[in-house]
Amino acid sequence: MRNVAFGQYYPTDSPIHKLDPRTKLFAGAISIAAAFVADSYWAYLACYAFLFIVILVSKIPVFQVLKTVKSIFAIILISVILNVFFHDEGKVLWAWWKIKITVGGLLYSGQIILRLMFLVLSTSLITLTSTPTELTDGLERFLTPLKYLRFPVHDVAIIMSIALRFIPTLMEETDKITMAQKARGAKFDVGGPLARAKALLPVLIPLFVSAFRRADELAFALDARCYNATEARTKMKVLRFGWRDLTATLCLALFLTVVIFLRLGFFGLL
Amino acid sequence: MSILELNDLSFSYKTDEEETIGVKNINLTVEKGEFIVLLGHNGCGKSTLAKLLNGLLLPDEGTVSVDGFLTSDESNIYKIRSKVGMVFQNPDNQMVASIIEDDVAFGPENLGVERSEIVKRVEWALEAVGMSAYRKGTPFKLSGGQKQRIAIASVLAMKPDVLILDESTAMLDPQGREEVLSVVKKLNADGMTVILITHYMDEATDADRIVVMNAGQIEATGTPKEIFSDKELIDRCRLHPPVCCGVMHKLSALGFPVEPVLTDEEAVEVLCRLR
Repeated sequence: MRNVAFGQYYPTDSPIHKLDPRTKLFAGAISIAAAFVADSYWAYLACYAFLFIVILVSKIPVFQVLKTVKSIFAIILISVILNVFFHDEGKVLWAWWKIKITVGGLLYSGQIILRLMFLVLSTSLITLTSTPTELTDGLERFLTPLKYLRFPVHDVAIIMSIALRFIPTLMEETDKITMAQKARGAKFDVGGPLARAKALLPVLIPLFVSAFRRADELAFALDARCYNATEARTKMKVLRFGWRDLTATLCLALFLTVVIFLRLGFFGLL
Repeated sequence: MSILELNDLSFSYKTDEEETIGVKNINLTVEKGEFIVLLGHNGCGKSTLAKLLNGLLLPDEGTVSVDGFLTSDESNIYKIRSKVGMVFQNPDNQMVASIIEDDVAFGPENLGVERSEIVKRVEWALEAVGMSAYRKGTPFKLSGGQKQRIAIASVLAMKPDVLILDESTAMLDPQGREEVLSVVKKLNADGMTVILITHYMDEATDADRIVVMNAGQIEATGTPKEIFSDKELIDRCRLHPPVCCGVMHKLSALGFPVEPVLTDEEAVEVLCRLR
């Protein structure tokens, strides 16, 4: 895991992996929009059907994708509890003081669960199918118009790229320092939260010192390789918006339209 | 034809309280295609000198000229840096991208080289250091020697005339050092001017010329034979000669008629003749 660049990239040779990162970022935006437009179980059925098809096409094991929901389990739990007890709508099933469980509340909570899960699953699918480098590239291209507002797009992109590049290096270093401090008798897993936080100081301080030293050397290395030599910087890798991306974009548009129609109750009976 | 010319070069590090001398009164000319080894113990000013050569530091006094361009002229600086490529000590602290080919492309991208040409240069540079197979990979799994070869490729992709290795072998294990040195020697054989900065004397045996630095000044220049046989110089500059060389010094001090040697093989030959 630590050997991989960083993140949760799951390499397969699927068409989803081959999409332009910009398309995938766009897909992320569409999914977020869809999750908030959807307000009925029918709409969520559409969302999950779409998601399921994408997972199948991406050739990533469904279980691998579902695992990502774990990270927001606590958030789901809290919002469900709040909504079950305080959302007051329809037939009352149980009541005590101001707290009521109602049919409407239960139904609404169900939707909240589906919405939160959809948000996490669809965005995870982006990070599962693209490397951090691809995403940085995509983001840089998206931000390019800001150049005209004198926003330093390229510098921001380099900062992101360097940050990604140094995450594994600094993790390795943290391990080394932790071991070195343990060898000197430091205890990291005893005492209350405050004591534990304090015990981390002997790791954090050397880590920061080393990070600054690295930054200093890196600055020389960037200069030596002519960073900022010209405004007309070129790129070896050019992102291409191909037929795959066009198809994907059309599918996304269709998907969002369906969800919006369902919200407007356009299909009469639903 | 000379590619680097240093004239009466001096530089010192200044803080509010004190001034530390980096290098002082350096005069040196480097010819095209030469393989120069800059020897000296820690803190003798070798790295300062290296950074002066491509304008990362600017001289207090004197001049550095690269292929006729002065580093002190602001408008030349990127031209000079693309002519004088520099590889640093820690391979981890000179890579900007998480993918090897992206890192190699960084230099030419900065220079605004055309896309198709960048692709060619990346291929060529990785081939030159024997790392083509790792092109799409990440540098994290690689050994120190491999990482440093990538760093060399990254510099080569700018098509420099001079390659400076600033203690680039210091953090490597013996095998990694061997890998890097053989790549450097191959590049030199193909015409690249190389300045190898090190404190390992045994890396200097194949040099055209050795420059020994001490306390910010050039103490001596000469062929490996000349430098290695000067025991007084070696001691004064706190250099560590290879074992074979030390043995010969001791033997000659004991009155044996031995000549200075550079490698173990030569030492064997000389010793056999003694019988």
